[in-house]
Amino acid sequence: MSRKTRDVLSVEWVKLELIRTAYATRGGLFAKMDARMVIGWYLMLAVAPWLTHNFTTILALFAITAVSAALARVGPLVLGLFLFGFLTDFLYAFLAAWMFGGDVNTAIALIEINLKLATVSLASIAAFVSLDPEKLSTGLLALGAPELLAFGVSYGYRMMPILFEEFGIVFTGLRLRSAPGARGFLGMRALWRWGTYAVQAFYPIFLNTAKSVRTTVESLETRGFTANQGRGLRIARLSIGGLDVAVVAVTVAAVAVAFGLGARWPLG
Amino acid sequence: MTAIIELDRLSFRYPGADRDTLRNVSLTIEEGDFVAVIGGNGSGKTTLCKTFNGLVPHYWAGEFAGEARVAGVDTYESTVAELSGLVGYVYQDFQNQLVRPRVRDEVEFGPVNFGMEDFAARGEEAMRTLGVDHLADRFVWQLSGGQAHLTALASVLSMRPRIIVVDEPVAEVDPAGAHALYERLTQLNRELGITVVVIEHHAQFITQYAKSVVLMDDGAPVWHLPAAEAAARADELAAHGIPAPQIIDACAAAGIEGAPRTVAEAATLLREAGVRPTGASSAGTDDAGEGEAAEQARPVVTASSLSHGYRTVAGDLMPVLHDVDLTVRAGDRIALVGGNGAGKSTLMRLLGGLQVPREGSIVLDGVDTRKASSSRLADHAAYLFQRPEQMFLKDSVRADVRLHPAGRGREDVDALVDHVLDRVRLTPLADRDGRTLSGGQQRRATLAIGLAMSPALMLADEPTASLDVASRDSVIAMLDELSGTIAAAVVATHDMHLVAEWATRVIVLERGRIVADLPPRELFADDALLAQARLVPPQIVALGRELGVEPLPLSVADWRDAVALSGTEALA
Repeated sequence: MSRKTRDVLSVEWVKLELIRTAYATRGGLFAKMDARMVIGWYLMLAVAPWLTHNFTTILALFAITAVSAALARVGPLVLGLFLFGFLTDFLYAFLAAWMFGGDVNTAIALIEINLKLATVSLASIAAFVSLDPEKLSTGLLALGAPELLAFGVSYGYRMMPILFEEFGIVFTGLRLRSAPGARGFLGMRALWRWGTYAVQAFYPIFLNTAKSVRTTVESLETRGFTANQGRGLRIARLSIGGLDVAVVAVTVAAVAVAFGLGARWPLG
Repeated sequence: MTAIIELDRLSFRYPGADRDTLRNVSLTIEEGDFVAVIGGNGSGKTTLCKTFNGLVPHYWAGEFAGEARVAGVDTYESTVAELSGLVGYVYQDFQNQLVRPRVRDEVEFGPVNFGMEDFAARGEEAMRTLGVDHLADRFVWQLSGGQAHLTALASVLSMRPRIIVVDEPVAEVDPAGAHALYERLTQLNRELGITVVVIEHHAQFITQYAKSVVLMDDGAPVWHLPAAEAAARADELAAHGIPAPQIIDACAAAGIEGAPRTVAEAATLLREAGVRPTGASSAGTDDAGEGEAAEQARPVVTASSLSHGYRTVAGDLMPVLHDVDLTVRAGDRIALVGGNGAGKSTLMRLLGGLQVPREGSIVLDGVDTRKASSSRLADHAAYLFQRPEQMFLKDSVRADVRLHPAGRGREDVDALVDHVLDRVRLTPLADRDGRTLSGGQQRRATLAIGLAMSPALMLADEPTASLDVASRDSVIAMLDELSGTIAAAVVATHDMHLVAEWATRVIVLERGRIVADLPPRELFADDALLAQARLVPPQIVALGRELGVEPLPLSVADWRDAVALSGTEALA
């Protein structure tokens, strides 16, 4: 056994990937857009698959969101998790159809629903990877969300790196100081131990953060957060430009084509 | 000058408390003053400052009596929101005060909340005044401690307040950062006429920057005096947990009355009085002996051509250490110094086996760190994290101290835990959660956790940070006592008192390279090196140099020896 510093598939990598995703640091097409338009664009692609049972249309919609995800520069971690979920779902659909005596039609029905879910997932991944917390919260405000929800979203993002850091340190502490043990078959015992540490880490993290949140709440109070007169100013920062209109128009056209294709060459 | 803060027979009791935190406080602060509020733990300093912006009694709704007027506004009749335009408050744990993702949003947050149309201009102005405008688009979690502190200050400055309160500015930033913050506060005070109130433990900052001093004791001000007069009352300050600056102690040791504000003033006073301590102090001979012993001692950890770096959010590799060679031998007490980002913490994590280097190798107590898991290496090296609460994983100090030895199946675990708790003098508090202890006690609890691991090597990250002077001295003394138990200790620190009084070897890191490895006395004698690493020697060392004392005194005790020795020579 030899330890080395890994750049991927390590805890550090997961942390960085989540930060990159949350803060939209990779850029991408939708990151340049107005938050309201991105949310609108997302809603359109999230609703469209549920309006049809036409397999061709669903495949076409899936293709549209797949291209969008590529344009949004989704990172490997999120994409990997998505693919893992997607493929295991398909496997499960086949197994279920086969074990419960279904035929090809059952399998196709299950694949259809999975494909719809995958389409919606890809659209949401593409949209939310592109919205940094400030944009998202302002966008939500503009769409009429309560101030507290909008702030909660941006504060949640703000806390994320801090909680990661804290979790990493407490987890390391537990790993170093708790009783060591054997790795077990396929490392199962070690995995079990790590699971226990992850749960145990919550006690210190909660207490440590509870203390710091007191300062945060006081500071919010002193900086007029509850005075709450800034809604108009925040929304006024948003603006819809040519790119926004173009992206939405192209997507509308593509969705229309998808439905057209389905009507012309229906599958299944 | 007009009064900007007037407190008249003010008393306050927190809900559920059985006695008043503020007792009948009458205090006036003039507009344009630079006030340091000092006093021991629990003297009511923070509560006092929270009456200025109405957090007491509006947010902390306790029993409130008397009157508080801020810029003519009765705080009881007003609201926290209204007062926030008058008073800005920067917290001790300022990191938690930052609530927005980016610096610019953070600074504009207050003005936007109050619906001020010119929020962008106000934000820009505040950032420019404090010199953080180049950070505007950074995420707040990317900032260094000093930058985050200035951002927190900018975020209250954008409200254009007339008063700024800063709670313990030195607690969580390095000395260079603390000086930078004080310089900015002085600038705000001088150029914009903003009244500054700081809660401060460190006599050297008070004498250097404050115009007046309020001493709090048991919920009430003892006096409010101009800084020079306050500094002269060294005995009274010491009685309230603010030990006098070392230069004042030094003068007292030489039998001279007076309150010099700077090292130069102290040197002049001493010269005029004809004090010339030049005899060899006993400390010098000790050092030489240890130096020779170290040559033969066994290596505890050896690092060879170490290079390491981290991936950034942007995906590139940020190098942290370059080609570092280091051998720590039994008996070494090493202080690792250097600015933020010099690679101190990284080097320590590598030495302790928490991580393995990208290049090079480390042999810890005979074990290659690549060949053993970090939890196995924890039997050889104990790593104490910077913030003590991160070490408290269980619900009592005893359980935390017990965790490692019990898990390793040591038979004498109960005896060991009792012994260790006794050594750090925490036996009476052992059943409490570590988080409920005071700062100094928390540090001692983490030392106990480290000791119970019976390591060959103890690694501690900033063990004296954010402690008041008395607690800091007790932690240094404890580190001193404990070094017999462990083979070697490495401490990353900004605290030059710790370096002077505890270390036998100082390693200066700069941009990931070791630029010097020498005993503290040689470090403090090397002006070029001190300037390069931006280190400020403790006052007593600076005074010793100013007067040409050889060897340099590293502590007030050394100085006393030197004075006593020269005294006897004079008599002879």
